[in-house]
Amino acid sequence: MVEASKRLSSKAPRGPIAERWDKHRFNMKLVNPSNKRRFHVLVVGSGLAGASAAASLAELGYKITCFCIQDSPRRAHSIAAQGGINAAKNYPNDGDSVYRLFYDTVKGGDFRARESNVYRLAQISNSIIDQCAAQGVPFAREYGGALSNRSFGGAQVSRTFYARGQTGQQLLLGAYSSLMRQVGLGKVSMFPRREMLDVVVVDGVARGIVCRNLTTGAYERYAGDAVLLCTGGYGNVFYLSTNAKACNVTASWRAHKRGAFFANPCFTQIHPTCIPVSGSHQSKLTLMSESLRNDGRVWVPKRAEDGRAARDIPEEERDYYLERRYPSFGNLVPRDVASRAAKERCDAGYGVGSTGLAVYLDFRDAIRRDGQDLIRQKYGNLFQMYEKITAEDPYSAPMRIFPAVHYTMGGLWVDYNLESTLPGLFVLGEANFSDHGANRLGASALMQGLADGYFVAPYTIAGHFTGRPLPAVSADAAEFLASESEVRGRTEKILGVGGRRTVDSFHRELGGIMWHLCGMARSADGLNRAREQVQTLRAEFWENVTISGSGASLNQDLEHAGRVADFLEFAELMIDDAAHRCESCGGHFREEHQTEDGEARRNDDKFSYAAAWEYRGVGSAAKLHKEALEFEYVKPSQRSYK
Amino acid sequence: MGLTGLLLVGFLIEHLLGNFKLLEDSTGEAFNEYVLWLKSFGPLLQLAELGLAALFLCHIALALRLTLENLAARKQKYVVRGTHGEKTPGSVTMFITGALITGYLVKHLLDFRFDERYFEDPAAFVKLTLSQPQHGLAYLMAAFVVGLHLSHGFRSAFQSLGLSHPALNAYLQKLGIAIAVLFATGFAVFPLYFLFAWNGPAR
Amino acid sequence: MSGDPTSSMGFTLKIWRQSAPDAKGTMETYHVADVSPDMSFLEMLDVLNESLIGEGREPVAFDHDCREGICGACSLVIDGQAHGPETETTVCQLHMRHYSDGATIHIEPFRANAFPVLKDLVIDRSAFDRIIAEGGFISTHTGSAPDANAITVAKDLAERAMDAAACIGCGACVAACPNSAAMLFVGAKVSHLALLPQGQAERNRRGLAMVARMDQEGFGNCTNHFECMAACPKGISVENIARLNRELLRGALAPRRV
Repeated sequence: MVEASKRLSSKAPRGPIAERWDKHRFNMKLVNPSNKRRFHVLVVGSGLAGASAAASLAELGYKITCFCIQDSPRRAHSIAAQGGINAAKNYPNDGDSVYRLFYDTVKGGDFRARESNVYRLAQISNSIIDQCAAQGVPFAREYGGALSNRSFGGAQVSRTFYARGQTGQQLLLGAYSSLMRQVGLGKVSMFPRREMLDVVVVDGVARGIVCRNLTTGAYERYAGDAVLLCTGGYGNVFYLSTNAKACNVTASWRAHKRGAFFANPCFTQIHPTCIPVSGSHQSKLTLMSESLRNDGRVWVPKRAEDGRAARDIPEEERDYYLERRYPSFGNLVPRDVASRAAKERCDAGYGVGSTGLAVYLDFRDAIRRDGQDLIRQKYGNLFQMYEKITAEDPYSAPMRIFPAVHYTMGGLWVDYNLESTLPGLFVLGEANFSDHGANRLGASALMQGLADGYFVAPYTIAGHFTGRPLPAVSADAAEFLASESEVRGRTEKILGVGGRRTVDSFHRELGGIMWHLCGMARSADGLNRAREQVQTLRAEFWENVTISGSGASLNQDLEHAGRVADFLEFAELMIDDAAHRCESCGGHFREEHQTEDGEARRNDDKFSYAAAWEYRGVGSAAKLHKEALEFEYVKPSQRSYK
Repeated sequence: MGLTGLLLVGFLIEHLLGNFKLLEDSTGEAFNEYVLWLKSFGPLLQLAELGLAALFLCHIALALRLTLENLAARKQKYVVRGTHGEKTPGSVTMFITGALITGYLVKHLLDFRFDERYFEDPAAFVKLTLSQPQHGLAYLMAAFVVGLHLSHGFRSAFQSLGLSHPALNAYLQKLGIAIAVLFATGFAVFPLYFLFAWNGPAR
Repeated sequence: MSGDPTSSMGFTLKIWRQSAPDAKGTMETYHVADVSPDMSFLEMLDVLNESLIGEGREPVAFDHDCREGICGACSLVIDGQAHGPETETTVCQLHMRHYSDGATIHIEPFRANAFPVLKDLVIDRSAFDRIIAEGGFISTHTGSAPDANAITVAKDLAERAMDAAACIGCGACVAACPNSAAMLFVGAKVSHLALLPQGQAERNRRGLAMVARMDQEGFGNCTNHFECMAACPKGISVENIARLNRELLRGALAPRRV
């Protein structure tokens, strides 16, 4: 049995799971409509979670100030999600239900998510589709005008709604349009090109933030009654990932330092269908929707280090290893399984391409079966993207793919209300840890971001406003001034190092350490080495980093430096978390804990908990708090996709 | 802009058809009858002329405003100017061709409409004027400039008025070019003929 | 493979440098070596910046984020072409294999009064956000939506709406337009919403409001050069501008209460 920490109260209601969210909402105090305008909410981030929350809260009458790091809220990285968004609408009449979506998500997360949250997510999923359709999101349609669904990421039902290969973009533009409407109405003040550098805590409650204006370099203080962090994931700790360049851990990390526990940081998702690295210059990786696995077949040559071109390898010398190992799911096994299987083949010397770090994704058979036109219709834009990047034609030769870091399930710990352990600080979307457990199912990220923003936080924030005394604070209060001088000092310290090594080279090296030792497969020994290497690198950073330009104007090098400095601290927590979790589950694979077939082996007796870490200073080990996970409905079983 | 432009194209059609009366016979009777017929409308003709003038002025004023605003919309110009291949010689010269046409219009009015001698024997006077190289060549160039202006203007007017359909746009584009060529050639016929093929006034 | 990934290219870059919004900018010349044909244009700039930082000089500031052609952050005019020479390609998806070794490349920011330069190649495109705030939305209160399938949308309409909605708001249309007009951007959004049944309620005011704002922001007027369409990384058609013009007419003529 896991001993639960007293510091963590999930506040998840008891009783029949289907009634919990209703009951919880009923028990929550409401804010009088005429009082809402007196509460000021600071929303940091404008992706799916941030934009939807800011718009919905403004519609309710709260006073909102929203910040984003990009030049426009429309560019948040949610925009890059391709595949789709799940919902339990059961429009195709194929047996889907809220319960099935809940079940699949808990199981897909390898039993490391909180049941109450996941059930709520599945319940809300339907309202999200309604909301987005009403906003004019141009979802794919059938000829009769009804919404079209597809099966995605190995789901046995077709529950994924999509807008070509640009679902994330269209959903974000929907949320953005609602946000801009509120900006136009004067209900939201929007501040782009701002980077949050600290959460200001007054009397134990998050009451404001300090940002740097990225255009002028000025520090700005904002006071409010609640802070919503919607700042995304930390995949860029690996340097190479499918995340946008600006994605970072800074906002979460600074909040962590102010008292928000960080949960399950080692749960990262490696996506199996990315375009392989082509050289050391590479600045980011490009994901291709995993819908490709619906029709493409994954294989490597049966002979190790086979140098022949794909088309010269006869059928009997091809190893369709996913179909071989997982006859019932074949190419549609979950992301973590597919990724590890690719790594296993490449490590064993069967990888293809100039680097040997790739496997084939072949459409030859699908083209023979359905014709090139149909394949072009379904995947044309993805094939085009592949050709643009690699200058190879996927219609005539198989694509080369390799796993890449894509999503981080870990994040700041939140209770059922999405409130962190720092009162008044709510965390939404990828930035929190809540719903995906140890592995996220395809087309679930968009669902969670929008659920948090449109339909959870707007209700649960009321509990904070009605439940705590919130005396007026000014952005000129001592706590704000202290915070500003602290972040200013940190920036000046970075500028003052005056070393010889560029920020980017530190980031690349950190990424290399994390990818090799804390990536797709981890071991106690490797993690120990990783920790030492990260500590050494961090020490070198503060002695040898060089930044050009000053802090008094737009300085992208300096921005990057601040983020890398935080990654260098955060990476150690991630390593500690991976090292302490002596089991394999979902995206976390410990080499010591696998079955004879090389599958992940969980240890439910010891690790059926969310690990929430309390900050205790750079270089000092964080303190572990455990939130025990109870599975009343979906009984933990070993996942099997055979 | 588009609407006034299209209305002016209407006028041009009428004008060109009228011009062809010049070539109907060698005596010029047909053309002179046509001029008389026009004059027979009396005050109505004057009204039409005023309307036409207003149309021109409107078109010119709108063009001026458009061009000035567009010039002002990019104070810092590109150091290297490039194209994505959609600009046409017609589209980039609209203001220049427009200005030239305005100049030509003034000349045209002074040459004929406001010259007393014109109304004595319109056909003969036109022929005489056009046969003189300094005038004939100017009108020849004007015909080309009108064509260039129309090569963009016609299609563009439809787009600005929202009269567009994916199935028709390609034809509209071709029609625009055809009309440009037609007007350029149509108007060029007269100076060419009277410069090079005409035997001079009947003695 | 069109190029050997290990082969190395070199370029002469002439780049617009401007230290602050009100400072005077100039084109400065740099040389960059060790460029692989598989690098994206932005990765080539990364190489340049790494070497500039190494020399203690200020790197070239440029906006970029997703580097996969969807966020719309990059804003470079290369040799006079917004997003460079490839069709339907953002700068981050433009690869150096399209250039020949030793070439001289001119890099400028998107230029328009409505897009003031903040630094070097970084511009301020917030005018686009302000245009959207005037009407680029369907007013729907969270929670009030009917069942999604209660509104049916013909497949063809949905596809055409999606074609228009694919706009990434990069501003290449403005940059490429000889008049700095933003009609393709506005046309795309107005079309997306006008085509859908959900967008009908606000249809008459939407186009007028957005265009009024567009004019106020100092964009130029459309004279139908169609350069915008050719520069658009998402291939948005000028058909959307024609539709916007129809919507404006429709809005202007619509009966209203007095």
